[in-house]
Amino acid sequence: MTSRERVLAALSREPVDRTPCCNPTSLATVELMDLVDARFPDANRKGEQMARLAATGYTELGFDSVMPVFSIIQESSALGCLMQWEGKDNWPTVKMSQPIWREPDDISIPSNFLTHPDTQCVLEAIRILKKEFGEEVAVIGKTMGPWSLGYHCFGVERFLLMSHDDPGKTMVCLDKMKESTILFGQAQIEAGADALTLPDHATGDLVSGEYYERFLREMHTEFAAMLAVPLILHICGRTVDRMDGIARTGMAAFHFDSKNRPQESMEVVDSRIALVGNINNPETLFARSPEEVRVEVRENLDAGVQLIAPECAIPLQTSIENLKAIPESVREWHREKAVSVGS
Amino acid sequence: MAELVDLQNKFLRDELGEYVEEEAERQRMVDLYAETKLSMQNIAAAIIDGRHHDVDRLTREAIDDDVQALEVMDDGLIAGMALVGIKFRDNFIFVPEVLACARAMKAGMAHIEPILSASGIDPIGKVIMGTVKGDLHDIGKNLCIMMLRGAGFKVVDLGVDTSPDDFLEAVEEHGANLVGMSALLTTTMPNMGRTIEAFIDADLRDDVKVMVGGAPVTPEFADDMGADAYGADAVECVEIAKRLTEESASAHQ
Repeated sequence: MTSRERVLAALSREPVDRTPCCNPTSLATVELMDLVDARFPDANRKGEQMARLAATGYTELGFDSVMPVFSIIQESSALGCLMQWEGKDNWPTVKMSQPIWREPDDISIPSNFLTHPDTQCVLEAIRILKKEFGEEVAVIGKTMGPWSLGYHCFGVERFLLMSHDDPGKTMVCLDKMKESTILFGQAQIEAGADALTLPDHATGDLVSGEYYERFLREMHTEFAAMLAVPLILHICGRTVDRMDGIARTGMAAFHFDSKNRPQESMEVVDSRIALVGNINNPETLFARSPEEVRVEVRENLDAGVQLIAPECAIPLQTSIENLKAIPESVREWHREKAVSVGS
Repeated sequence: MAELVDLQNKFLRDELGEYVEEEAERQRMVDLYAETKLSMQNIAAAIIDGRHHDVDRLTREAIDDDVQALEVMDDGLIAGMALVGIKFRDNFIFVPEVLACARAMKAGMAHIEPILSASGIDPIGKVIMGTVKGDLHDIGKNLCIMMLRGAGFKVVDLGVDTSPDDFLEAVEEHGANLVGMSALLTTTMPNMGRTIEAFIDADLRDDVKVMVGGAPVTPEFADDMGADAYGADAVECVEIAKRLTEESASAHQ
């Protein structure tokens, strides 16, 4: 199987020759930026640099997919949010203390949303990656869900308080913001994306599982029906209390955090959705050695997790050695399994 | 030892029965509320239920009825936030509900603070709080601030993207002996260490206790950076702040 075939088969929960290593969020590091001369912030804003840095996930690290959207702010910038772009060694962030919307009537998707430089560069990067890697590697795009956009455009506190005080108004806002999710997702599919990550941060660190059910499950089901490639839902933090709902959305996969044990997560989703994850970022990939990475990879493989990945966008100072340990450990595990089956 | 039936406010009785599972903790809370007047129990209940308009009215009425501001704060507002903290810690409520409770607390404190300031009553401690340089995330820090204020601390909020110099200046300006730093990004976590180094360079490290937190921060990392304490959430932040304040007070006795 090619890497692309392997990723797409795993996202459909079909048989694979070996478990794919995937990166639904970001594998960018400062080391890789220097290696290919494509650094933040330009690598977040210029399509060619974005593609060059994304390609290293396959060419340097040996993962089975490439993902050019390293941050979660491209659409928010195009929607008019104020940005802090930062430098090579930090993530760009939306200035959420200066929100752009207060009421549902304020929400409007600008007519230049898909031609804005910060969405256009993503489409350009996907086209470049598709052309360069063709059928060889899975090209994954990213379109932000309306809950995450709500944090950016309304401010986190105001958005969460609105959800508490007026759920009906919140639903109206989500319904209007979802247009952005669909538009950007469809544009990336047209540009050549094989699959899309859909981050929508209704995390257990902020809101209850009941919130997911009330505000988002139906909308996520709608996205799965409307966007014609496999969707990988990404929600950070503890999410095991909402995985049953997530598994019923019809999305292809759920990218889960290391706060959820692989085995318990597999049991909850019960073969209704593929899981992608969940190597710990701050404690393992960032701060420990390849041996500890290997332990976590094996725990996921033993549990039957379909695609192995870091739990979220990796810390920019993560060592290449630790990242390479992910595909190496996957191959090693499969070799051992093959020997034990053969003996 | 009081019993649940001794509480006059039914909402409080129901809340304690439903949400405080550990027996010793429940007894502590029952004793806490049982010693208070019905009007204070009503304020606590309104805080727990996030009814800010009611807290505003009940607090104003209590002050008009000559209840001492300190009593309203301790027996009504802070007592209410104590149960909010327990419910949040045990995942019965989440951030939106806590934000509503904190808004209610703020509505009550708007009546109390001017009276306490005028009477010269000291808060239980002064804390400088900020998200470190390069980081614009503040929901965790803001939750900590709400809980700290709810526990009777005076908090100076430096906001986000706070430089080491901003922390230093705030400590000197406000005479605080406790600093809290937050970071959500792995890229900005090292700025906690840089801020602590700035306190060392300014010869102020012995004058302040430093607590840190944030999603990617771990106790080991906090230790490596030279912090005095790590808190996993807003409830722990308050416990740590109280402990560090007591330690500072005993060290200066």
